[in-house]
Amino acid sequence: MVDTMLEQVTRLGEFEWEVPTGTVPGMRVPCRFFLSDSLYKSLESGAVQQLANVATLPGIIRYSLGMPDIHWGYGFPIGGVAAFERDTGVISPGGVGFDINCGVRLLSTPLTTGDLGHRRELIENLYQAVPTGVGAKGPVRLSLGDLEDMMIQGAGWPVRQGYGLAEDLDHCEEQGCMAQAESQAVSAKAKQRGMPQSGTLGAGNHFLEVQVVKEIYDPGAAKVFGIYPGQICVMIHCGSRGLGHQTCTDHLKVLEGATKRYNIVLPDRQLACAPLSSPEGTAYFGAMAASANYAWANRQMIMHTTRTVLGKMYGIDYDSMHLVYDVAHNVAKMEEHIIEGKRIAVCVHRKGATRAFGPGSPDLPSGYAKIGQPVIIPGSMGSSSYLLRGTTTAMESTFGSTCHGAGRILSRSAAKKTINGAKVKNSLSREGIIVRAPNDAAIAEEAPGAYKPSAEVVRIVDALGISNLVARLEPLGVIKG
Amino acid sequence: MSYEELDHTADIRLRVISPTPDSLFAETALAMMKIIYGESRPGVVERTIELEAGNTENLLLDFLSDVLFLSEVEYLVFSSATVHITGNSLRALLTGEPFDPERHRGGTEIKGISYSGLRIVKGDEGYVLDILFDV
Repeated sequence: MVDTMLEQVTRLGEFEWEVPTGTVPGMRVPCRFFLSDSLYKSLESGAVQQLANVATLPGIIRYSLGMPDIHWGYGFPIGGVAAFERDTGVISPGGVGFDINCGVRLLSTPLTTGDLGHRRELIENLYQAVPTGVGAKGPVRLSLGDLEDMMIQGAGWPVRQGYGLAEDLDHCEEQGCMAQAESQAVSAKAKQRGMPQSGTLGAGNHFLEVQVVKEIYDPGAAKVFGIYPGQICVMIHCGSRGLGHQTCTDHLKVLEGATKRYNIVLPDRQLACAPLSSPEGTAYFGAMAASANYAWANRQMIMHTTRTVLGKMYGIDYDSMHLVYDVAHNVAKMEEHIIEGKRIAVCVHRKGATRAFGPGSPDLPSGYAKIGQPVIIPGSMGSSSYLLRGTTTAMESTFGSTCHGAGRILSRSAAKKTINGAKVKNSLSREGIIVRAPNDAAIAEEAPGAYKPSAEVVRIVDALGISNLVARLEPLGVIKG
Repeated sequence: MSYEELDHTADIRLRVISPTPDSLFAETALAMMKIIYGESRPGVVERTIELEAGNTENLLLDFLSDVLFLSEVEYLVFSSATVHITGNSLRALLTGEPFDPERHRGGTEIKGISYSGLRIVKGDEGYVLDILFDV
């Protein structure tokens, strides 16, 4: 099985590849994915298998898609995108993941490289102020009522409590709040996990990074996004913490039963799903949206802490630091897309993929309407991150989607065996990048060598036109969980 | 404890081998603790889990999810587990110590236990489990 999967792949163009229907029994559509020759060499058969598995799900439209950071995950591959027709399609937690609305936001500051003295102290202060890693508790104790409000209001809740600016909301995907949220579809267990964790970064690949804008590719778009060379920015990457993880666990169980009830045959149990209109599908959608809102509130709380630390250290005003944008990269959303000339309602699953809505799309803030939404692509630790913009091509070919990051190339165990965390930390330090993490193993697992080169991933999406490069940012210091 | 890490690009995939289903469940829960917290010491805090599920695989997933939940919300690190499976029900006694940020930050968070590639088979060496944790 393993070897035959890669043998089924055919090349359609410089960066475009196809897995035909029939590769896995029950495929309803073909798969399309986007890789260069060099990235194709690291494609795992497991990822192709998972991409083909997605193509078997009821109501899938056009293609099961894989972005250039595609790799082997569970359920959908990471980098997987699929749209399901509203009336005949399904929703699956396997297309969203355990970390619902894991995402990234970019905060711009009025500081430039020359203003950033005491950098080691800055990273230490951020590390002390933002709870990170296993067992961390958030800075604000939430009551159950607060948590319920947060799940309904998303990023709006912390902003109303004074942890942000009104303008922040306009610069979040969905204004930081999915209106379909149903907090009663979130279990008591999930709420119990979520209550102490708001405002915590988590562990694994989550991070907060101080960056400098190193290169501008599209001066017009950069100006609209408020970005210029030498500017200091902060990138925040985290998700819905234990609340989202538990929501996925709880609903997977319910949906596994539903899969049988609705006679859906699956090649992977993690793809457990239910029709979008079914009670089980609706309940998962409501709980997922509530978890997504919690994640937006979480990133908002962390950004508030960041603004406070920067303000105190460098004497800059809170409102002089602007949220460029906040994107979700693990979520399912109801959207309208034009398919064969007709506008239809679909549920787009993006699992390790970013929305990349082009100019004139709905849900863009007025300031970005003509340019397309900002797309934020974090690099691996120590490598470049990129700011791009959404395009009309993405709307036409990928349901308005693009990649979400560099994409792993080395397993965590292989990384720990072959990479020495302490050495990585010292070598990054020599390059002027300060790393603060609870242990060296966490650094080894996330070292640059464990990931595909982010430059190559964004080169492909830019060449394909599914998002276009605006700016490159380089890390100066990072805190990790 | 007999487990090895299998290759997986994004997450942690384990193979656990144990003579009986009871010990297989217990060892997998402790492997999970080691991934999250690194090393731990024996403790005196006790928690019990009682469960029923439709089949052995679901029983395991529910059990591990409950261990994860208890450990996270009560800030406990379990270092020993005794499991008794009867048919499709389970009773487990977990013992451990309170989470100590000075000693228990040597691992990484497990977000969930996946159904993908989950397999329990009886081989010559005992029961063999392949399981994937999202980290």
